[in-house]
Amino acid sequence: MASEVLVTRGLVKEFPGVVALKGVDFDLRHSEIHALVGQNGAGKSTFVKILAGVYSPTRGKIYVRGSKVSIRSVLDAKRLGITLVHQEATLVPNLSIAENIALGILGKEGGLLKRLGSRELLDTARKYLEVVGLDIDPRTKVESLGIGERQLVQVARALAEDAEIICLDEPTSPLTAVESRRLFEVMKELKTRGKSMVFVTHRVEEVFTVADRVTVLRDGVRVFSSEVSKTDPSEVVRYMLGREPEHFYPAKVSVGAVGGGKPRLRLVGLTVLAEGKGMALKNVTLEVYPGEVLGVVGLLGSGKTELGKALVGMYRVAGGEIYLDGVKVSIKSPVDALRLGIFYIPEDRRREGLVGNMSIAENVILPKVRELSALGLVRVPEREISTARKWIEHLRVVPPKPSFKVMYLSGGNQQKVVIAKALESNAKVLVLDEPTFGVDVGAKIEIRKLVRNLAESGYSIILLTSDVDEAVALSDRVAVLVNGEIVGVYRTSEVSREFLVELLGGSGYGS
Amino acid sequence: MARSELPYLSRFGRILRDLLRYELGGPLVALIALIIASSALSPRFLEAYNQRILLLQTAPLALLGLGESMIILMGSIDLSPGSTMALAGTISAIAFTRLSYPLHVSILVGVLVGLAVGLVNGLLVTKAKIPSFVATLASLVAGRGMVLTLTEGQPIVGLSQYSVFTGEVAGLPVMVWLFALFGVLNYFLLKRTSVGMLTYAIGGNEEAVRYSGVRVDIVKLLNFSLAGGYYAIAGLMMNARLEVAYPWSGWGYELDAIASCVLGGIMLSGGIGSPLGPVVGSYMLTLLTNVLILLGVNPYFQWVVKGVVLVIAAVALTRGVRYVK
Repeated sequence: MASEVLVTRGLVKEFPGVVALKGVDFDLRHSEIHALVGQNGAGKSTFVKILAGVYSPTRGKIYVRGSKVSIRSVLDAKRLGITLVHQEATLVPNLSIAENIALGILGKEGGLLKRLGSRELLDTARKYLEVVGLDIDPRTKVESLGIGERQLVQVARALAEDAEIICLDEPTSPLTAVESRRLFEVMKELKTRGKSMVFVTHRVEEVFTVADRVTVLRDGVRVFSSEVSKTDPSEVVRYMLGREPEHFYPAKVSVGAVGGGKPRLRLVGLTVLAEGKGMALKNVTLEVYPGEVLGVVGLLGSGKTELGKALVGMYRVAGGEIYLDGVKVSIKSPVDALRLGIFYIPEDRRREGLVGNMSIAENVILPKVRELSALGLVRVPEREISTARKWIEHLRVVPPKPSFKVMYLSGGNQQKVVIAKALESNAKVLVLDEPTFGVDVGAKIEIRKLVRNLAESGYSIILLTSDVDEAVALSDRVAVLVNGEIVGVYRTSEVSREFLVELLGGSGYGS
Repeated sequence: MARSELPYLSRFGRILRDLLRYELGGPLVALIALIIASSALSPRFLEAYNQRILLLQTAPLALLGLGESMIILMGSIDLSPGSTMALAGTISAIAFTRLSYPLHVSILVGVLVGLAVGLVNGLLVTKAKIPSFVATLASLVAGRGMVLTLTEGQPIVGLSQYSVFTGEVAGLPVMVWLFALFGVLNYFLLKRTSVGMLTYAIGGNEEAVRYSGVRVDIVKLLNFSLAGGYYAIAGLMMNARLEVAYPWSGWGYELDAIASCVLGGIMLSGGIGSPLGPVVGSYMLTLLTNVLILLGVNPYFQWVVKGVVLVIAAVALTRGVRYVK
């Protein structure tokens, strides 16, 4: 009965230092929606990127409509009728919708001969926009579209390319609940037109809303596959997590004088402007005490990253005040922040946290290299190495070699190096932005324990996260950030995750 | 991905492989190959007289390359070496001839001019936030304009006293010693000092260095200024070799400076390469010209050969490397 349009057998993908996929078997039937779920770093994105020709597999076989194929480029994939709707919209913002849709077609044979802007292309664009339910003039520039609309334009582009197999990589992560529902309707509509879809997500309830089958990846291994009708959310979550959830979080011993005592850091009416995006934070008032973890939960685009970056002067503070130990301070750059003892540990650690082609030791001592050098100038390798060794041992970085290049470390170990750098810089206030994002399960637990230990030894920690469970488990208090505004601050002992999820908008949280 | 290793490496192959792992390994292997090929092609190549000329020709270019390497390792680019060297040489010559300053003061004036041009480049990049390509392009054009205005397009003669640079110490001209000295200095600055480490780090990932609370702008200002100083010394060397300050001296040398870095194994993407690379690179570049002259190749065609060599070097370098910033 089932006709497989796409099959993979033993798909392996190795990156320097990590094996992202460890032999994945997967199959996709004709006109079905097959959900692929897993935690961050499970290998979902890598898997669909291989199907779409973005990456080449290290080993393993791929069959399309029964014949073995080798997909070496995005163009190869397109010729086989496979296309990928990327997680972050890959549209050219300064071109029109029609031109963006044309870009997809131009890649194919004879495409370059077609005239851009011709009536034919406009009509094609109009036709597929209609399929995805977008009633917009195809001559509209993409930059004026919202994120949800852009995602639908990507789907329209995939259709215009005549794709039979559409991979959607976390298409709902930047979308609101309403936008997501609309996308699901489009997906179901496409299914009736005979399209097959691989739907990557980490939100379990979406699987049960839209998918026919579900496959769970964990640490690059397929651990579970089933018809959606024969399983339930808690089973899927159990496979995603792999262990009982409570083992995921360290025991919490609050030492902070929350409520009493003096706050270490106090923000009063903080307003932050983000370039081109208008007001990222509106009138934020918060305080964090010594020895406390203050969780700030917010969805993508809620302003949590902007909050972190504003605290180290990377975003301009347009209004409001920041007090450190009761003294009003002005933070114009990370240099000022470092002097005051505030360190921001970025979510995008490869781009903002680490110098990839330098060693663990050099990354750890980066802010302190002048202090560790003789006369502030001549480097003393022994001092640098012993400093790095201290942190490597303390945080258990693997491999424990100071000269190892950080680009080859796993996500968890890279995060430890960034944390080591923050601690070595003598910061008192640590701002951690999604500290366990893209980190494997074991390291996740370690990093969470570390966050608690740091609080217990007196650091003030601001934990910026979109993971409600993480916030509840690690924080003493939780602030909920919605559209740049704090909608409430609660003691975690007095609040349930369901309540927080509701505050955040009621949707989007599966695990 | 892991490169497939040959199952049976000869001993020579193994030595070669180990050498290539070292960041200056590739350029050194290319250099040795070039020297062997050149001496086979022209018996006059290895003669002491020829080598001496070669080193004299290399010295100014090596200084330009060494200065440029500090900028490229930061992930920026400097198009001003040629104009800066001319401006420093010219103003120094004017100080010496028209203003009758003593030689050592005139030399100091030249170096200060180089540092000042470099500082302006650095300020344009850090304070005015102009991309280094555009900022230094402006210096390239304006610098040459200042030289031509000051000299009215005429060479400044009467610089025979600059021969302190060409005079001999321990069998070699002072210039050649200077070139060696600056090679060592560059190595020390970039590999053994805190500023050097930050230079590599900025080239590797400027954002991450900023978030670490490092004063990135000061490191940039320092490097741009210092590079200007290096260019100035190259300009003074030209005054010494020719005993004349030509207004068009250094014309097009910015490209040779960049080529020296590329041939020396420094990645234009920043953060990767040996500080000694330009020493090897500038020698190779000069050697190529030298051999082509010895072989009697049409001088116009030499440009074509240089271009091809540069492409080969760039291809060898950019295997698996990110784009140029």
